[in-house]
Amino acid sequence: MRDQTLKYLLVLPAVLVVFATAVWPLIESLRFSFYQGRTDRGDFPQNWLGFENYTWAFLYEPPFWNSVYVTALYTVVTVVLTTLFALGLAMLLAPGGKLRSGVQTLLILPFAMSPALIGVSFRFMFNPEFGLFDAFFGVVFPPLADVSWLANPDLAFAVIVMADVWGWIPFLTLVLIGGLASVPQDTIEAAQVDGASGWRVFKDVTLPQLLPVLAVVIILKAIFSLKTFDQVFMLTNGGPGTATQTLSHYIYITSTRYGQVGYAASVAWLMVIPMMVLTYFYAKFVFKKDDAP
Amino acid sequence: MTGKQKKQMWRAIQSVLIVLAAFIMLVPIIWIFLASFKSHVEVYQLRLFFTPTLENYGTVFEEPYNLGAKLFNSTIVAFITVIFAIPIATMAAYSFSRFRLKFETTILVVILATQFVPAVVIILPFFIMFRDIGLLDTRIGLILVNLAIVMPFAIWMIKGFIDSIPMDTEEAAMVDGSSRLQVIKNIVLPMAAPGLVTASIFCFILAWNEFLFALFLTNRDAVTLPIGLALFRGEEGDLWNLLSAAGIIIMAPMFVLALAIRKYFVQGMTMGAVR
Repeated sequence: MRDQTLKYLLVLPAVLVVFATAVWPLIESLRFSFYQGRTDRGDFPQNWLGFENYTWAFLYEPPFWNSVYVTALYTVVTVVLTTLFALGLAMLLAPGGKLRSGVQTLLILPFAMSPALIGVSFRFMFNPEFGLFDAFFGVVFPPLADVSWLANPDLAFAVIVMADVWGWIPFLTLVLIGGLASVPQDTIEAAQVDGASGWRVFKDVTLPQLLPVLAVVIILKAIFSLKTFDQVFMLTNGGPGTATQTLSHYIYITSTRYGQVGYAASVAWLMVIPMMVLTYFYAKFVFKKDDAP
Repeated sequence: MTGKQKKQMWRAIQSVLIVLAAFIMLVPIIWIFLASFKSHVEVYQLRLFFTPTLENYGTVFEEPYNLGAKLFNSTIVAFITVIFAIPIATMAAYSFSRFRLKFETTILVVILATQFVPAVVIILPFFIMFRDIGLLDTRIGLILVNLAIVMPFAIWMIKGFIDSIPMDTEEAAMVDGSSRLQVIKNIVLPMAAPGLVTASIFCFILAWNEFLFALFLTNRDAVTLPIGLALFRGEEGDLWNLLSAAGIIIMAPMFVLALAIRKYFVQGMTMGAVR
């Protein structure tokens, strides 16, 4: 067989699978978003509504705006905290040695824990009666000992943030350690010989070199924060009230509990827009490197 | 304080910080691990010392929890997803790696982008379609949607591995008269084998931990392990000792697999954007 034919034949099955499992449902959900679609009323989708689902979300749905707000705040806070902690931890672990490489290995473990399970374990630890945090604060700072973390809107939000940051620090740390390893050691040494302080070396030499890697992890983390569902579902199930209801959770509730698939699809598509912007920037980083000579 | 003392103290502080960080990373895991050996009385008391029991690990497999059925579903779904995904991804990855295709960048970007689409967006059409053709609550349905999750990772990861195989041997074999398919079979696949195993494990972990699709699309027959966790939220609240045991059963095999491919984990997650 000629290579010209073969190269496309090899790609074809993968393209078909991606089309059938991702592209088609994406287009289909865009179509749903213009229809009145309720799973409890037989034929689906029902009447053509135009942009009514979208305007409905914008104009009449406080829970929609609430979930936009929760998701936006959640994304900003988790991206900032995860990046800062991971950067600090990466700086600590990068030099190598027995203890450090041992801890680097341990960092793999939280990956094996699914987000749903992370949600469960944090709900367990924040139980006000026998949770670990309850005990911890009982010793360290008694006024916080008997707080019902998950019953208070602000604290529940703090807990879902903690769970997320905990789950993502290892990944970002490992990526940043990889990034630090590629910063040329001689420029750092040259700066040190010139008498620059540790902080100056970090700010003027290490950080600029690390920026491309930082950009990639920040974009990736933002994408995953925007989509957050599993651990929120298991940890707070959006509550108390709607204090921790992310967009994904809101879409889940409207489509399953209320059967409003058309409306849910319109909200889902609103979510795709920021995702496309982030993907665009991510793709720029991926392909810039490949095109390098 | 002299400079030397300062340096030593800074070193000591660093070590303490590192140990502390490692401890914080492990606490939630250790906490569930310990709870999984506590009796249903002790799990509601905050005690460091307790009489360990293996009872929970037995109870979760009995009526009414039947974790065994979920374990079976999870295993089948993850295995078959990988069995379909890896050969298809390998073929495509070879082509992307060795040939110049029309629209190559576009196709790769679309594949990459599908990974970033929130699962809630693509699940709705699947839900409607599966309802209409009777695939709701079946393992086949779950396998189909799981392919959406693992394919992009598999293609990008395997492309990375094939890119790193030097082309000389392939070219030499073709000069000697081997066809392209023979070259793929006799040279590329054996050399890429460790990479294929790594990608398979990575995809297996993704499929095993998948949550939202299973939550939407199953309710009785095809329920997987992560969804099975909801079983342990009884009327009297969460049954923490059983939840913990189930949690350990879910994550233990993934720990082993994750450690086995730890060198490549970052590469898989970042799709080769960072190396």
